Amino acid sequence: MLLEAKGSWSEAEKAYSSLLEENPFDQVVHKRKIAMAKAQGNITVAIELLNKYLETFMADHDAWRELAEIYVSLQMYKQAAFCYEELILSQPTNPLYHLTYADVLYTIGGQENLQTAKKYYASTIQLTGGKNRRALFGVCLCTSAISQLSKGRNKEDNGTELQSLAATALEKDYKQRAPDKLQLLTSALKSLRVSS
Amino acid sequence: MAEPRYEIAQTAYIKMVLHALKHKTSAVNGILLGRVSDQKDFTVVEIADSVPLFHSHLSLLPNLEISLILIEEYCEAKGLNIVGYFHGNERHDDAELGGVAKNIGDNIYRYFPQAAILLLDNKKLEALSKGKERSPVMQLYTRDASKNWKLVSSDGNGSNQLVTREPSANVVLSDYILSEKWQDIVDFDDHLDDISKDWLNPDLFK
Repeated sequence: MLLEAKGSWSEAEKAYSSLLEENPFDQVVHKRKIAMAKAQGNITVAIELLNKYLETFMADHDAWRELAEIYVSLQMYKQAAFCYEELILSQPTNPLYHLTYADVLYTIGGQENLQTAKKYYASTIQLTGGKNRRALFGVCLCTSAISQLSKGRNKEDNGTELQSLAATALEKDYKQRAPDKLQLLTSALKSLRVSS
Repeated sequence: MAEPRYEIAQTAYIKMVLHALKHKTSAVNGILLGRVSDQKDFTVVEIADSVPLFHSHLSLLPNLEISLILIEEYCEAKGLNIVGYFHGNERHDDAELGGVAKNIGDNIYRYFPQAAILLLDNKKLEALSKGKERSPVMQLYTRDASKNWKLVSSDGNGSNQLVTREPSANVVLSDYILSEKWQDIVDFDDHLDDISKDWLNPDLFK
């Protein structure tokens, strides 16, 4: 690791490889190799190594999270969604994964993904007892995006109830803790509702 | 007609750099607010203020959309426009303008044709801490006719296209860096986690 910190990448690489030969199941060394690849800018190599690592050590949540973040930074959203699905399967009560999964689905777009994203924002709100503001905003955004997509089809009438609940919760929150931003929030929510 | 010049106010400039310094291990981005003024020989885009946005999952749409909606409401109330985008890459030696920055820049360009992207220049930032840097520690990108973002070189014809409105901006910035002022800066990520934190940073320079 000292070699790595000093920047002598190839020597650090050699040291790690020899350590892995002795003990191929050493998780820490595997991860150091991946970190090195990422630090040097070889993102594709880092992704390859991470994928191989996860084939063996499937329960390593940090690794799944790291892979998901790399995919998001490269705008490879479908692969990122897959990573978050694995994370939600293994830790279904962690609201952060539901939230980020919903974010990724929203970013990919499309009617079905938006519907699913709304469900995951709702589950985040449920898991956090209504306190997660990003999820509340997410619900508002999803509802207005869905109704924009299905304009003229007149099906989504039950969606607006969830959105107004979320909007009311947000307004109450802002009134209590950030009253000078309340004005901005109200006009923003109005523009989201008008378009829905 | 000559290309527009970009003049960045000291507060906007410092906020962006402090934001990048606060989150050294991740990529950061922010929005530039300002207005256009048509002067005698050229157009000047005044970057009057900036709003630091995120330091994680920069390319995820929902957070970006919410922040842009709220910022636009603010702009309307203050008579400002969204004039550009700021980006700082995750790694020190990465000086490339990534896909995320270009996409967001394209979106801003649709509403404001003289939009600019400012990319944090890590080498200049390092030189700043040694007291050797006079020009802003950022690279300016504008859109050319073929819809690509091209780097505007700062010492092309002797006229710098990106200047700070107050010439002492870098000195003030170095001061703040030494006093670790970057601890106090609030971005949109922080606001979404705790809405009592104000992304306008009104008290930052008092």
